[in-house]
Amino acid sequence: MRTFTREELARCNGRDGAPAYVAYRGTVYDVSKAFLWMGGRHQALHEAGMDLTEALDRDAPHGAEFLEPCPRVGRLLPG
Amino acid sequence: MAKVAIEMVKKAGVNLDQLVELLVKNASAELTTYYYYTILRVNLIGLEGEGIKEIAETARIEDRNHFEALVPRIYELGGELPGDMKAFHDISACPPAGLPKNPADVKAILEVLVGAERCAVRGYTQICNMTAGKDHRTYDLALAILNEEIEHESWFSEFLGEGPSGHFMRRGETSPFVGKFLR
Repeated sequence: MRTFTREELARCNGRDGAPAYVAYRGTVYDVSKAFLWMGGRHQALHEAGMDLTEALDRDAPHGAEFLEPCPRVGRLLPG
Repeated sequence: MAKVAIEMVKKAGVNLDQLVELLVKNASAELTTYYYYTILRVNLIGLEGEGIKEIAETARIEDRNHFEALVPRIYELGGELPGDMKAFHDISACPPAGLPKNPADVKAILEVLVGAERCAVRGYTQICNMTAGKDHRTYDLALAILNEEIEHESWFSEFLGEGPSGHFMRRGETSPFVGKFLR
């Protein structure tokens, strides 16, 4: 499985033809086809290309189960 | 635009742009749900479907009321609705509540209905969390809508056999919580 640095992940922001990827607990998900991630943004609060672990565990009104239907495309390297 | 109201909201530490965007996205969710629920309601037929039609209609009308109640607050806070209806649809805070592949499958329709309500419950909880103790008017509105969305969720959940809703459907008037914003 592909590995991503934070910089590589940040480029997958769903803009200018780039895919929209987000990370959660080390797994990178492709949210490009998710209705609620159109244009690489989610609910006015989150951008694709980010590690959402803290946001999902702490603030979001839903859990990581919403990422489960999205394809897993890699692992986020620590640091 | 309500300049002092905006000033107060900003001063309280609310990210105004984020809040307005969320309100517009939820207004879209309400109006598009009203549209999709029209199709779902039409297809609730037969022995099973007819029993659910009335309650789906109540949820449909109340979702339209939520749209009507949200719009003034969006403009008070300096926001606006998109001029393009297609763009408005696509920024919805919730996915389209489309008719299932088999329109005769009442359980599948109920799953769409409860899914839409659960999305709304999450969305208004988020807005309440953002505005509690900071933007009193938006909080009051979001809480009123949240109260009705939770009731919708529990109605449909009951029909799906997940457990009792704990209350009756509406008797007479719709929007017992949001009504005060519509006068």
